[in-house]
Amino acid sequence: MSNSIPFNLDPPGTYIYTGEMATKGYKLTRFGLSLRRPDNREKFLADEDAYMRAAGLSDEEIALVKARDWTGLLQAGGHLQAMLKVAATLGQNLWHIGAHNAEMEVEELMRLCPRKVNALPGGED
Amino acid sequence: MAKIIGGFAISHTPSMGMEYDKGMANGFSPHWQPWFDGTRPMKDWLARMNPDRMVIVYNDHLNHFDFDAYPTLAIGIAPEFRQADEGWGLRPFPSLVGDVDLGWHLTNKLVRDGGFDLTVCQDLAIDHGIYSWMPYLKDTPWDTPIVPIAINMVRHPIPTSQRLYNFGKSIRAAIESFPSDERILVVATGGMSHQISGARFGIANEKLDRYFLSKLKSYVQELVDLPQEELMRLGGTEAAELAIWFAMRGALTDNIDEVYSYYTFPAITGCGVIAFEEKG
Ligand SMILES: [Fe+2]
Repeated sequence: MSNSIPFNLDPPGTYIYTGEMATKGYKLTRFGLSLRRPDNREKFLADEDAYMRAAGLSDEEIALVKARDWTGLLQAGGHLQAMLKVAATLGQNLWHIGAHNAEMEVEELMRLCPRKVNALPGGED
Repeated sequence: MAKIIGGFAISHTPSMGMEYDKGMANGFSPHWQPWFDGTRPMKDWLARMNPDRMVIVYNDHLNHFDFDAYPTLAIGIAPEFRQADEGWGLRPFPSLVGDVDLGWHLTNKLVRDGGFDLTVCQDLAIDHGIYSWMPYLKDTPWDTPIVPIAINMVRHPIPTSQRLYNFGKSIRAAIESFPSDERILVVATGGMSHQISGARFGIANEKLDRYFLSKLKSYVQELVDLPQEELMRLGGTEAAELAIWFAMRGALTDNIDEVYSYYTFPAITGCGVIAFEEKG
């Protein structure tokens, strides 16, 4: 995968979190944010399926979490900040999400970052 | 009446906070040492300014609020604000002290005169938006009372840059009618260039960040007039948080000195700080 970065806001480069995404991913985001509480993190780790079913997630959403499919979760409307809490609870972090989004290994992404660009307003259209 | 003595703007990121804790325990990593060194003069400046109060415009990252109710503009009014658990436990820092009187005064003025309908939060947990940089600038106990104001930056629509600039102007008017002789600093935090999701993860536009820092004092309207999409396109989606900086700049006059600015790019977020003092 190359390190060139497109100067546009289209997927898969960028997922803008709109109202439409917030509606689509409402339960997924709510589930992620429930993990702000340590007792919920314990419950989730003890039985992922049961916890997610109780949170009202669909079979598709549960499958995405079980696959640690961070890109799929963002596309399903899970907010990055909420999915980050899921990742943290599972012993992963922002780099795992980013690497999955960028279709790279974590180590490769870390090597490439910071991914330097140099453009001022109006440039690099 | 209370007086605004100056203001500063500073970046925030979760890693900035975690690296502080690690750095103080075992020494800073080569990536973060420059940020620690670069914020030393800010710490000295803040101690010299010795403000009585700080009004801090920041943004929450779904660590206190959730989408059941996500306010576009919210103000914290409480004797203290606890640290938010972001999902990986609390860091060893105390709660922040609040100023209830100033909080209500600002609310009354901003809602009734300023035209800014704030959501009032009498319980507000604060995340890395403030906790990540505060240790670099102030030793504990953190005894300078604050009024935190949270701006939605996590779900579009976010407030426009002009709106936040005007918000700053209204904050100024509100502070200047507060019956006290307090000396107040206005602070903004957010940005700079970064994007933490999508295939553009890790974008780093130092040129854009330095351009922004160079224009904030004397050419702020040029920055305010930039479409936020342009900041996001060039600096990453989270660079939109730079719009928060306009609230601080709007609260200051044009009769200011730029007393310090510093910039570095430690990992995946442009980290900058800039400080202004009112001459009057
Ligand atoms: Fe932020």
